[in-house]
Amino acid sequence: MIDLHGYGPRLLEGALVTIELAVLSLILAIFLGLLTASAKMSRSWLLHRVGTLYTTIIRGVPDLVLMMLLFFGGQIGINMITDWLYDQFNIDIFININEFVAGVFTIGLIFGAYMGETFRGAFLAVDSGQIEAGRAYGMTQSLVFRRIRFPLMMRHALPGLSNNWMVLLKTTALVSVIGLSDMVRVAAEASKATREPFTFMIIVGIVYLLIASVSEWGFARLQKHYDTGHAEAN
Amino acid sequence: MADTPIPLEVRNITKRFGDTEVLKGLSLQAQKSDVITLIGASGSGKSTFLRCMNLLEQPDDGELIIHGEPIRFKQTRHGREPADWNQVVAMRAKLSMVFQGFNLWAHMTLLENIIEAPVHVLGKPKKQAIEHARELLERVGLSDRADYYPAQMSGGQQQRGAIARALAMDPDVMLFDEPTSALDPELVGEVLKVIRGLAEEGRTMILVTHEMAFARDVSTQVVYLHQGQVEEAGPPAQVLGNPSSERLKQFLAPKN
Amino acid sequence: MDALMNGLEQLLAGNSIFTLQTLGYYGEGLVTTVQLVFLSLLIGLVLAIPLSIGRGAKRAWIRLPIFFFCYVFRGTPLLVQLYLIYYGVVFVDGIQDTWLWLILEKPFVPALVAFTLNTAAYTTEIFRGAIKSTPKGEIEAARAYGMSQRLMMRRIVMPSAFRRALPAYGNEVIFMLHASAIASVVTIMDLTGAARFVYARFYAPFDAFFFAAAIYLCLTFAILYFFRYLEKKLLAHLKPATG
Repeated sequence: MIDLHGYGPRLLEGALVTIELAVLSLILAIFLGLLTASAKMSRSWLLHRVGTLYTTIIRGVPDLVLMMLLFFGGQIGINMITDWLYDQFNIDIFININEFVAGVFTIGLIFGAYMGETFRGAFLAVDSGQIEAGRAYGMTQSLVFRRIRFPLMMRHALPGLSNNWMVLLKTTALVSVIGLSDMVRVAAEASKATREPFTFMIIVGIVYLLIASVSEWGFARLQKHYDTGHAEAN
Repeated sequence: MADTPIPLEVRNITKRFGDTEVLKGLSLQAQKSDVITLIGASGSGKSTFLRCMNLLEQPDDGELIIHGEPIRFKQTRHGREPADWNQVVAMRAKLSMVFQGFNLWAHMTLLENIIEAPVHVLGKPKKQAIEHARELLERVGLSDRADYYPAQMSGGQQQRGAIARALAMDPDVMLFDEPTSALDPELVGEVLKVIRGLAEEGRTMILVTHEMAFARDVSTQVVYLHQGQVEEAGPPAQVLGNPSSERLKQFLAPKN
Repeated sequence: MDALMNGLEQLLAGNSIFTLQTLGYYGEGLVTTVQLVFLSLLIGLVLAIPLSIGRGAKRAWIRLPIFFFCYVFRGTPLLVQLYLIYYGVVFVDGIQDTWLWLILEKPFVPALVAFTLNTAAYTTEIFRGAIKSTPKGEIEAARAYGMSQRLMMRRIVMPSAFRRALPAYGNEVIFMLHASAIASVVTIMDLTGAARFVYARFYAPFDAFFFAAAIYLCLTFAILYFFRYLEKKLLAHLKPATG
């Protein structure tokens, strides 16, 4: 058997951190993505501008730089606010950004921009006649969205969503740099301590490939679900 | 003349796709200056037959003799294959094909399309190839389109350009695979005019076409295929003017 | 030049963080980033051309190793690849006593190797897709005109595939620029490394990282416009003529 020098349990915990981080970031990214897509498609000039600015900046700057900016800068920013609250109103609170929250926020924020593009394209691909039909039957705006527009949109969004998820999963590795003990960080520490980088890095690589394969299978099933009623489309 | 080898001869070609036999032992002989037209309903195997002649499709059986030189085949696990691909390459350089879908190379201008094979396959000097190409372009009426890309030309222009590309190889035999089928009706005439000109100057050609009036005018021989077999063949006046087969009569009868 | 420096010094007089010295760090960092990205993209591109052809080979012993290489390098984080190669080199027994150490001591080489292999894997798949989407008729015409497999690849398939791959490859270039930020993790003083250094020294995360972010943004736009220009020039043949 492979000798993990006692790092096995920590590696497993690290893998769980990676998965939790990825899933929570994905949820935040989907939420932000839907917001961004709505902003970009809205008739409001301001919302459109804000949406465009957000996606442009996020997609023009490296993930790691954004992560450091938010993690290191975020704490100082929050300290500034809490200091001000204390000076002005004598309210004494202390908020400490932990690495996990910072990680979820940054990755969610980054992939929200990519998701925004995916969703926008998918919404535009939905046949407007179907939405008109919903309205014609007296559905409210939100009912139309929930029952008609969203399910139809998901069919077009899934390939992009799956793609973004695969990239997001790999991006989680960056949190190891800001100090979060995900599996990459555990493996890096173990590599240094045991001087056996191949053992640990290859294990981590295999876990990433495994997660990716499982998600690929999951997305294929989802696609099948949302493809209901559509002829084989390749 | 009697000693000149026959430019193209095929004997007993058979071809199967899976379980269906699409060509059931077809033979054909193209003497110099022959214009042979293959006609038949869709699915009769006429295009497949033509594509077997330059081995774009591999016939399962039969012989292929170019200028008296038979193509050598060998048996492999996947079926019969040419024994020597160099021989096939040399053979193809002598038989130029004009396709239904033009198939000009999209990333090259028309002039570059025309000189491509002469320069890189035949090893002709580039300057000479360009001179020849310009003559050919003038001949097909496209002198002003030399530097256009295929996507920038009409279908009729592309097909005339493709014919110029075929002529640039100085081919012994030209193969036309439904050259006007992909064209809008108003563009068919300009392409047929060019092909007619080639027939008149004594080019050896084999055509697959649906243009019956054209076939009657230019052919020396018309071959009617039905389900992979020759149903009737002969001079156009006989085959098209006075068909003996009941099927051919129906095929030629005006629709509606 | 002197006048310019003097002017700059005056401009920065009231600024405690952006001194000429820190700007110098950023400048050197920018040069390192550009070198690293440019070299890895160039070598990766050269590797990807034969790999993408081999990826579609009939023989499994050529096709499968390339498929596996692409699958692994595209499916795992670049950071893991970087660690593997960086620590893999550092911890080789006795390497520190050989002449090789003179080259490998600096993390630049392991980083370059990791980035090159990574971009080679992505580029191979991009080219593979472009090769596969070559119109069938164009290949048939090449065969019908007596081209050998090799000549057809060189004259017809690859030139048209390169053009079709251009938009996706532009994305890959931007991706590599952004991914290169992790070089700072193995102590390379690239643009991000410079920002981390300035942050650590002055404890001014906003200034330090915003400045780096702005430079990355400019680089991204430069690449974007460069590829748009290339597409306009090289993909002209796909557009109908005007007039």
